[in-house]
Amino acid sequence: MNNLQGLADYAIRAWFSVPDPARWPYTWLVYLGFILLAGLIAVGFAAGFAGPMSFIERRIAGRMMSRIGPNRVGPQGIFQFIADGIKSLLKEDIVPAEADRPLFLLAPYLVFTGMFGTFVALPFAAHVIAADLDVGILWLLAIPSLVVVGLLMAGWGSNSKWAVFGGVRSAAQLVSYEIPSAFALLSVVLFAGTLSTQGIIAAQGPWPWEWFIFRNPLLFVTFFIFFISALAEGNRAPFDLPEAESELVSGYNVEYSGMRFVFFFFAEWANLWVMSALATTAFLGGWQVPGMPAVEIAAMTGWRFVGWEALSFLIFALKTSVLVFVVVQLRWTLPRLRVDQLMTTCWKYLVPLSLITLTGNLVLLALVPERGVVDWMMRGLMVLIAAALALRYLQRVRANYLADRENYRKMEGKELWYPPYRLP
Amino acid sequence: MTERPLEKHTQLWVGPQHPGITGNMSVQIWVQGDTIQLGRTHVGYLHRGFEKLVERRKFIQAFPIVCRICVPEPDTNEYLLTAGLEELAGIEIPERAKWLRTLVLELARLAATVQALGGQAGTLGLGVVPNWTYTLRDYILDRFEELSGGRVYHMYIIYGGVRRDIPEGFFERLEGTLKTIEERLPALDNLIFDNAVFQKRTQGVGIVKPEWIDEMGISGPTARGCGRPIDIRRVDPYLVYPALDFDVITADGCDIWSRTLVRRGDIEQSIKIIRQIMRQIPDGPFCARLPNMLHWKIPTGQTYLRAEASRGEMGYYMVTDGSDKLRRMHVRGPSYVHGFSLLERMLPGLNIADLSATMVSMQTCPPEMER
Repeated sequence: MNNLQGLADYAIRAWFSVPDPARWPYTWLVYLGFILLAGLIAVGFAAGFAGPMSFIERRIAGRMMSRIGPNRVGPQGIFQFIADGIKSLLKEDIVPAEADRPLFLLAPYLVFTGMFGTFVALPFAAHVIAADLDVGILWLLAIPSLVVVGLLMAGWGSNSKWAVFGGVRSAAQLVSYEIPSAFALLSVVLFAGTLSTQGIIAAQGPWPWEWFIFRNPLLFVTFFIFFISALAEGNRAPFDLPEAESELVSGYNVEYSGMRFVFFFFAEWANLWVMSALATTAFLGGWQVPGMPAVEIAAMTGWRFVGWEALSFLIFALKTSVLVFVVVQLRWTLPRLRVDQLMTTCWKYLVPLSLITLTGNLVLLALVPERGVVDWMMRGLMVLIAAALALRYLQRVRANYLADRENYRKMEGKELWYPPYRLP
Repeated sequence: MTERPLEKHTQLWVGPQHPGITGNMSVQIWVQGDTIQLGRTHVGYLHRGFEKLVERRKFIQAFPIVCRICVPEPDTNEYLLTAGLEELAGIEIPERAKWLRTLVLELARLAATVQALGGQAGTLGLGVVPNWTYTLRDYILDRFEELSGGRVYHMYIIYGGVRRDIPEGFFERLEGTLKTIEERLPALDNLIFDNAVFQKRTQGVGIVKPEWIDEMGISGPTARGCGRPIDIRRVDPYLVYPALDFDVITADGCDIWSRTLVRRGDIEQSIKIIRQIMRQIPDGPFCARLPNMLHWKIPTGQTYLRAEASRGEMGYYMVTDGSDKLRRMHVRGPSYVHGFSLLERMLPGLNIADLSATMVSMQTCPPEMER
């Protein structure tokens, strides 16, 4: 049972004692039920991620800005996102009098659909995926295009010039940055030999030197190309031009209120997970558990199976959260680029660079035999470089922690009892 | 100006309610794509008639009004009002009062410059820096509160000197505040000046041509950012500035980057000046004996006084006619030049994104434009 259909077939066999689900007349009904269930789980997961993540990001931001952040609702303010959600639900849903009503009403759903469509092909654990599509990467590249349509509709439908600016900017940005990100993923697809997301993960191993990011220097560069493009596609700083507040007030969503605004907001936070999970899948080895191949997990039954699946999910979530934290940190340390600089970054640097890395990767793929001496040397070198960078990072985290502790003692005369949220 | 200056354009109103605008004013721009083709500034949203309000009140009643001409730095206004009227009435102020006035002016400049530095970063989407600089400004406001009882509007400088002497142990605490600010400056530098995106966004953007300086009367960091050392503290010294050692910071990029650099330098210079004042301040009375404020009449006369505010040259023209009220008062604020006509000149060719950064780089202050 590698995917949803397999699970449904298994359920039909077990619950209804039907030997051959393909010939049973009510199979489609069960399939539909499973699809709805999977959708609910995906949206529930996204909600469970987006809400707390918004709280965590605000706390991190507060820490970086020498303030506290939300701390009123619940212990340390952890229920802030629930309060915000309820507030937004209860707010009046205003449609401007001059707005293009159908477009205005439809736009949030398109953005929402585009963002959540990606959850279909995103893996979570060794065998937890809604549909392990053969064209998973294509799907992941294609379905977010709905977001562009939604943003354009929101901008145009609002009948506000600022919203149009935001919508057009974000459409231009998304369309442009899809190219380098697609090229970057293409390199990975070449090495993996498959478009399926689970296949790409299976082509990597659990250890860092088996991940695609450390496979060779060019893939290392490719990872950063992909990451930068994904940031831009998700409208995250320093590429958050569509909602640049000092220029466009709030961009395409300026006229929205209540639940429709939350849809935009929600999609944006969920996208944090999507882009980080995609990067983890393609470059960081996904859910691979050290010492336990996926095939062996599939052969298990009962609680052992669930336990190993949970472990693989934990590994996947850990890798993804590291990336999410990097994204959050970037947002609060980098100013925003200007539109022309944004386009320059894409068309003059990222696109040529991604073409070069793609060609280089092809050459390496043809010339360097896998698991040969040269291959291992390259992998070892990349892992060493990455380890050095990670050590430096941890060193700075520690230095900051010590400085914080010292300051706290100086100011309050007490020992620091909570871990500071400040990163380097 | 024609109604439709271009064949293809979009007309946009930036303000009066816009987060990127410094206060209540609006800029009407015509854009093609993201490039501004033409811009017009519109003021009048904040017109409270400061000058006329002052002219209808007794001299002592003018203080709460002039303070509000520039909120981040009210002390320059108080100083100019008092100094002008003292000159007309022929009042000599004690030596210590002069030093205290200089101290307050520099503290206010420090607070305003620190805030401006954060505001500059904030317009470019660097939301962390304004929070840090507001914290620093708050430390200075703590000292102001101690000194005058008010955090924002101090009204510390009054006719004949200052309102009260410094409290006990004030200089030690002030030194602590200055140390704190100095300690945090490297972090600000890291985040602002060492930031590649910040450099990209500000260098070569928002150009003020050097030939405009004399033509339009540009002053302060805007002029000094073009390499012209125009500083009223040196050009036309007042109070105890001749006795103090400080540099006039200049940079020659003529762009937002240079103006930010000048601000950064001004912070250090202000700290230096405050340290000198703390060392050299003489003892003595802090206020001269004054006539009864309710019946104070000043003989006929007129004067124009100027001082260096953190934004540029601030000037007061005052006419008295022997009564207990001013006959005429005129405020020449730097923002009138910078935010009104200069901004209109700078707008064509600018990107929409750079509009607010340009405006904030000159620290235009709408109340000052519509006194």
